[in-house]
Amino acid sequence: MSNQYNEEELDDVVDLKSGVVGRLMRALKPYWPQMLLAIIGIASVSYLDAYYTVLNKRIIDEGIVARNLPVMIGLFRNYAIVVLAQTVGFFLMIFIIGRLGEQLRYDFRKKLFHHLQNLSLSYFSKTPLGWIMSRVTSDTEKMADLLTWGVLDTVWAVTNISFAVFFMLQLNAALAVIVIISLPIMIFVSFKFRVKIYHHYRQSRKANSKMTASLNENITGVRIVKALRREAKNLDDFKVLSTNMYQESYRAVLLSAIYLPTIQTISAISLVLILWRGGLQVASGAITIGVLQAFISYIMMILWPIQDLARVYAEMQNAIASSERVFSLLDMQPEIRNREDLLPVDSLAGDVEFEDVSFHYEDDEPVIKNLSFHIPQGQTVALVGTTGGGKTTIVNLLCRFYEPSSGVIRIAGHDYTQYPLEDIQSRIGVVLQVPHLFSGSIRDNLRYGRLDASDEEIEQAAKMAGAHDFIMNFEKGYDQDVGEGGNQLSVGQKQLVSIARALLAEPDIFVMDEATSSVDTLTEALIQKGMHQLMSGRTSFIIAHRLSTIKSADLIMVIEDGQIIERGNHKSLMRNKGHYYNLYTKQFRHDLETKYDLFADQEPDASAA
Amino acid sequence: MSKQKEPYIPLDMPRVLGSKNKLLSLWHLMRGYHFHYFVSTVFLALAAFARTGMYVFLGTFIDRMMNEGLMGPELTLSALTFGALIALQALSSFMSSWMANFTAENSTRRLRDYLFDHIQRLSYSYHSESKTGDLLERATSDVDTLRRFFAEQAIGVGRIVMIFIISFIAIARINLRLALFSIIIIPIVLAISIVFFKRLSKAYEAYQEQGAILTTDLQENLSGVRVVKAFARQDYEIEKFDKENAEKFRLGRKFNWMHALFWPLSDIICSAQTIGSNFYAATMVLNGVMTLGDFISFHGLLGWLIWPIRNLGRLIIDTSRALVSFGRISVVLQAPEEDMTAATYQPEDGIKGQICFDQVSFAYEKDYLVLDDVSFSCEAGQVVALLGSTGSGKTSLVNLLPRFYDVTSGQILLDGVNLNEYSREFLRSQIGIVEQEPFLFSCSIRDNITYGVHREVSQEEIEEAAREAAIHEVILGFKNGYDTLVGERGVTLSGGQKQRLAIARTLLINPRILILDDSTSSVDMETEVQIRAALDSLMNNRTTFIIAHRIQSIMNADLILVFDKGKIVQMGEHEVLLNQDGIYKDIYDIQARIDSALQEEIDRVESI
Repeated sequence: MSNQYNEEELDDVVDLKSGVVGRLMRALKPYWPQMLLAIIGIASVSYLDAYYTVLNKRIIDEGIVARNLPVMIGLFRNYAIVVLAQTVGFFLMIFIIGRLGEQLRYDFRKKLFHHLQNLSLSYFSKTPLGWIMSRVTSDTEKMADLLTWGVLDTVWAVTNISFAVFFMLQLNAALAVIVIISLPIMIFVSFKFRVKIYHHYRQSRKANSKMTASLNENITGVRIVKALRREAKNLDDFKVLSTNMYQESYRAVLLSAIYLPTIQTISAISLVLILWRGGLQVASGAITIGVLQAFISYIMMILWPIQDLARVYAEMQNAIASSERVFSLLDMQPEIRNREDLLPVDSLAGDVEFEDVSFHYEDDEPVIKNLSFHIPQGQTVALVGTTGGGKTTIVNLLCRFYEPSSGVIRIAGHDYTQYPLEDIQSRIGVVLQVPHLFSGSIRDNLRYGRLDASDEEIEQAAKMAGAHDFIMNFEKGYDQDVGEGGNQLSVGQKQLVSIARALLAEPDIFVMDEATSSVDTLTEALIQKGMHQLMSGRTSFIIAHRLSTIKSADLIMVIEDGQIIERGNHKSLMRNKGHYYNLYTKQFRHDLETKYDLFADQEPDASAA
Repeated sequence: MSKQKEPYIPLDMPRVLGSKNKLLSLWHLMRGYHFHYFVSTVFLALAAFARTGMYVFLGTFIDRMMNEGLMGPELTLSALTFGALIALQALSSFMSSWMANFTAENSTRRLRDYLFDHIQRLSYSYHSESKTGDLLERATSDVDTLRRFFAEQAIGVGRIVMIFIISFIAIARINLRLALFSIIIIPIVLAISIVFFKRLSKAYEAYQEQGAILTTDLQENLSGVRVVKAFARQDYEIEKFDKENAEKFRLGRKFNWMHALFWPLSDIICSAQTIGSNFYAATMVLNGVMTLGDFISFHGLLGWLIWPIRNLGRLIIDTSRALVSFGRISVVLQAPEEDMTAATYQPEDGIKGQICFDQVSFAYEKDYLVLDDVSFSCEAGQVVALLGSTGSGKTSLVNLLPRFYDVTSGQILLDGVNLNEYSREFLRSQIGIVEQEPFLFSCSIRDNITYGVHREVSQEEIEEAAREAAIHEVILGFKNGYDTLVGERGVTLSGGQKQRLAIARTLLINPRILILDDSTSSVDMETEVQIRAALDSLMNNRTTFIIAHRIQSIMNADLILVFDKGKIVQMGEHEVLLNQDGIYKDIYDIQARIDSALQEEIDRVESI
């Protein structure tokens, strides 16, 4: 699939653009002292690692073989000092780099979140939520890991190998050559293995998420599965997925199991050569036993930095791909921005005018075509028409969630793009069809309308909106938790809360998308009352479904196909016997059917039949 | 059903669940791979022997070189032996790791398949009561915890213990006192390690939980982006996020601090032991108690005696987690499956569809009857309409027919035979269900239509069914037609469209009995007529139970059942019920009232 928003990005092949790497590295700039300290620390630790072997060699040659106790004690004392020094270095290094890693994660997340707040609605409507989430949660981790442990492990591995080679050359150049020749082979093999292992590991992760999705779907749709007796077939389908997962995962672990023994075997060859050549030299007295022992140690130890290097290399490509995605998000410019010369406003009270407004998403067909209307201050407009006709887009344009592709929208006499974005959006109160509440208490959600509102003001707004009574029925009253997305409340209750929230904000213009889902009669009446409060004295745009709202509107616009096909008030439109008449009679019938339905039959669990 | 060849021996679930000890249960989960695991252990030991042998051999090699001076072929042979030991060690490690992973991967794959099947065969009531996320968690991440247990912890603990023992014996053979001296710190390191990893795992959980909070925060912010913008609350949101973000930073630092403390601390302790033991050993060489070769052997062995212990704590903590995971999985495994094939009655020429409810009562929980003494009967091919409010028992009644639930008392007769004598498998093959808003699977539209049609269906047949269900044109309207994936971006099906897909499917299945949820989805007139026609052709010649929402679909029913609180309060044909005082008449009257109200409304507007 050529979907650029594939949930799991598995394209391991990324051309390592130096631009991305450089930009990634720049994130370290404010922390260069820590980074420098950590690098110096790890280099010293690494030096001391290699130096131990030299000390051991001297203990053997100068202490044990020479049978010199005082020298030996001195050497052991040195050994202890080196251990202490190294431990301190080690501690500082974990402390500094681990902390720095957390710091970078924090920074990246913060930066992304801040940036996201400024992006326009259009970005969010065309980008899957999951895609954005992955950037903030998992990509930032990978980036921070590469910048801290990735860099550090690389420095450690490279210096460790270098120091070992340096000491070996000092001890005996001829023997060292054997090791130096085997090194590139081991590194090469390691890299090959690691990349392959990592690839299969990623594939198994992908297979795993497919498997989980299938299981999820089967549980969600279990009733249909049972009714249609699909169990056997579904199990077969699942087995394909679980087998795929098994194969990828098995390949990854099998390769891992082969990997270490393989490079151990390669190192065994150089070890045999060292023992053989070294043995000859010991016999001839050219080198000491200590030197031979030192070489054996080096060869065995050097496997670790090689493994680390290969691991970092394999993971690096992916981390860079992560960075690229994160940077692409950060480079995204908000489509709707403040203009150069701003006209700050305290109030948007005034007429609203659309003049020849057209709108289309990117390259698509126009959604709104040459729309013009003029609404005097304080009037109520009802927008009616079928779904997809463009009502929501008109409202989105008015709120400046989008801007017209052509034409002008004027509020209180000025082209609204002259106003600061924040001023417009905070002066327009919006109540959505499916009201969105945030987790937290009812009070928190109400206060969202005006952050400095006192508890009294909040309660007053709730009373005006008709939300007070049901709120008080909760055990904790205003401190009742609404649950994630407000899901502990019914749709009707959510709507009342969001009306109260909008009231608290005291907007100049009020926009509402009426809920289509039916609520009980009492709540319905409360919502009507709340809306009335909001509409009084304010220019209001209602995407209307309720007949009472439509009938009482000053102006009704029937929107179809991005255009106004009928406009007028209830009476004039009814007399017309056109689109409005049809819509109205159908809705009327539907409403009464619902109203008179003795069973009030909404069957919430009918889908479970 | 086609029985394909299983790639593995089936699980013996009763034994797994019957074991008193959880570790024993885990052992039974490895059924069929016990030999592999045994081989893994053998090679584990072999690897430990080879490694130890390598150091011992190195010692002898050096001693001989010092004493006699190894020359020529003997030297070559020694060097080769040494290499061979390393190679043997490497090969054994590989074999051990291979076999352990083979066991782990195969056992968990089999467990995954088993769980998938088990979950879909759990009873209807089990699914009503459990949460999807929770089941999913148990079947995925808990299973993965077990996989890691088989592959890493079980074998890891064995490896560390085995290496410890063999190294200890080898050192003891050199010098017992030295060996004993060298393990002084082992209990301390082990204790610290267990305490540390226990705390670490707690700190890590807190860190992860905070991560989840942050993710939820982000998700709410993104999904509520319109609200955020509408109130221009970006700064407030940023402040809120920063607070949680900073908390995660804090927990992360704490977590990191523990690492920074443990590893150097355990380093110091282990190093102290290393230096002490080496010094002790070196003085022994000076005193002539040990040879230089012994010292070099010892020097190598010591590392394997001490350092791996540091990781033992982690393995032990992880093991306890694996046991917890197994506990969570076994709760699901213990739940009984529906018996699909228990009863065997299966009439040769299929069923006719005559149904009789005889004093049927049903309760989900004790003492609360959802259906109370329901009796009625209908002939094959008749239409039964069920009318009543939410919770009056309509849905429960139709759930009894495919035996999603069984009656609590009384009996249901199908063609005169008790429903319980038919197998669920057979019954469900005879009953078609069209829900109000059916669940669609994320496969192509074609696959959704043929879902559950247990035979090959040609494209012509599919299209014919789709046409009959008035959905063909809609499908052609999608870019990829019948190959369009449900849930693909830009493809959304309305409730009514989903229902029509289900109608097409049911037409292909061609069941004798039909359960229909007749809803008023908001569709335009023309479509409504089409759907009605589709439903009519579907109901034709089939015994149909309609959960009715409007009078039109009821009027032609052969039998109307009006439900209230689990009881049938009215029963009969439209004409009969219309002449009775009661709910039915009230409902019917409303329709007439609506028409006159509408006319009044229109007249009023006209008159002004």
